[in-house]
Amino acid sequence: MKRKKQKIFNIALAVIMLIMSLFFLFPVIWMLANSFKPDAAITADMNSAMAFVPPAPGKGFFDNYKAILFDTSFIRYMLNTLFYAAIMIVSGIIVNGLAGYALAKIKFPFRDRWLAVIMMLMVIPAETIITINFMFVSKMGLLNTVFGYVLPMIVNPFNIFLFRQVFVSLPDDVWEAAQLDHCNPVKYFFTMVLPMSKTVVATVSVFTFLNVWNDYLWPSLVFTSSNLLTAQIGLNSITSNDNTTMGQTLAVITLITIPVIIIYSLFSKQIVEGVISTGSKEG
Amino acid sequence: MSFIEMKNVCKRYAGAEKNSVTDFNLSIEKGEFIVFVGPSGCGKSTTLRMIAGFEEITSGDLYINGNRMNTVLPRDRGISMVFQNYALYPHMTVEKNISYGLKNMKVPKDEINRKVDWAIDVLGLSEYRYRKPKNLSGGQRQRVALGRAIVKNQELFLMDEPLSNLDAKLRVSMRTEISRLHRELGSTTIYVTHDQVEAMTMADRIVIMKDGIIQQVGKPMDLYEHPANKFVAGFIGSPQMNFYDVNVKGNTVVFSDGSSIDLPDSVMSHLAGKEGEFIIGIRGEDIKVDAQNMELYKKNKMVATVENVEIMGNENNLYFNFANTQTIARVSKYEISKPGDTIEFVFIPSRIHFFDKQTEKSLF
Repeated sequence: MKRKKQKIFNIALAVIMLIMSLFFLFPVIWMLANSFKPDAAITADMNSAMAFVPPAPGKGFFDNYKAILFDTSFIRYMLNTLFYAAIMIVSGIIVNGLAGYALAKIKFPFRDRWLAVIMMLMVIPAETIITINFMFVSKMGLLNTVFGYVLPMIVNPFNIFLFRQVFVSLPDDVWEAAQLDHCNPVKYFFTMVLPMSKTVVATVSVFTFLNVWNDYLWPSLVFTSSNLLTAQIGLNSITSNDNTTMGQTLAVITLITIPVIIIYSLFSKQIVEGVISTGSKEG
Repeated sequence: MSFIEMKNVCKRYAGAEKNSVTDFNLSIEKGEFIVFVGPSGCGKSTTLRMIAGFEEITSGDLYINGNRMNTVLPRDRGISMVFQNYALYPHMTVEKNISYGLKNMKVPKDEINRKVDWAIDVLGLSEYRYRKPKNLSGGQRQRVALGRAIVKNQELFLMDEPLSNLDAKLRVSMRTEISRLHRELGSTTIYVTHDQVEAMTMADRIVIMKDGIIQQVGKPMDLYEHPANKFVAGFIGSPQMNFYDVNVKGNTVVFSDGSSIDLPDSVMSHLAGKEGEFIIGIRGEDIKVDAQNMELYKKNKMVATVENVEIMGNENNLYFNFANTQTIARVSKYEISKPGDTIEFVFIPSRIHFFDKQTEKSLF
């Protein structure tokens, strides 16, 4: 009897969640369906259910996408962003990972206070220090350079905290065994600590990628050269062009959303595990 | 100079009020199997970690092979270590775990392969060669840890309670395996355990510790037969030795409940005429209930009521209260009693140990 009740409850829950997910999917489906249509068709379907139905594949089906990919610099913007994200992920893992490791495993004066300071920095919104960062990068003559874009963004208090929380639970005897195996601290970090903490490395990588991918304010300040623009700035530049149609606008938004969806689908488990483990493995 | 010399080694942790290890003096010869044994917190693991270089030596000197090692890095001390929790590299296969140290030591590839093959073969790990530690049982993991230690050809093996995470049956087989490896490799081994059975069965010499101080160093049977003090007498042997507060007058030993036994001159001569309060100890197997011993020591017969019987298969443990002390007698499996039975028993006089009441040191 109890099992039957549980089953009914589960089915009801699934139906409710399905309905709720439709609310969230509603704009995405609308965007996707209309990104394949010419502007006239979008306007014609606007007040009917056809607004959620893509046109039948045929001639001109991919016209909006072709226009975005071949007539604008959008591919370059996407590649730029992927490149910046790769640099930020690698450098972020090294810098924040080493900081997290020091806070977790190396004894030095005021270590816990340093951790408290870093945790306090987490509550400061990035926007509040963006002017300082801009002045710093500008004075160093790094405006319009990849280095100028990346440098102030590498250190991330949240990532340091994530790393620290995972590293603190790593067993000390593995480090001791590695020492006897003639492993030096730097090699230990790269060949032992990071591989043993794959979950948090994946989590930090995903967060970093999404930050870079979605960031608008900082790249818009640092970059003025069109060769260096990121996807988000590129999106703004393309959509604000008077010659861009509504269908093309929806196509470019679809393109810019795809990597985010792929990343979340592939790594949702790691993201959840990573964040949960950082909360539960304090040791 | 011996292979390992420890002179007045002390350890005090920052902020601690007293030493964790005090005046540790020990010489270890090449090829010896030494076991540090003692209860939790006695300083045995701390001492091992000082030898390994993972704990700083507060004062005193450590020499390995004639070289002072106090400030030498762990990797340069020429040691291999097996850890309590195995400390395997979880993301590496068995083969890579074993070969990792050799690669870092820049050993030629051919030699690495040969040594890894040998270790895997010796430890029976062939079918697990490409498995990761999470896919191995506790015993297999421990063998990988042993493999990692033996391939490096170091002169000194340190083992920190390596069997404590294994079940009883596996512990027995791994005990044999470690002893066999020690015999085959001839390496000097220092082994830490809190299990006196491991200590007795594996050691060439046992170092028994309490509160950071060595209580006695000796061969297993020396410790068993001639404990230096009441602590050693109680720690070594299972079930533990029975102790009684007694008063000695002449050849008569009077227990706290008023019962008494007369001991022969051959035993009492060890006290050199001393009288007064002592502690006596007798092992369970030296308390006899059989007819032959009853007849032999009939003057000293005592009586008690059995409270519990542990049937071990090959023998029985009888629990009873004598002289206000819980007493355990190990008797033959043919001596059948049940709780509530009244039994007569005798102590074998020559097997009684006398301890000083104040210092608890053995008097002979």
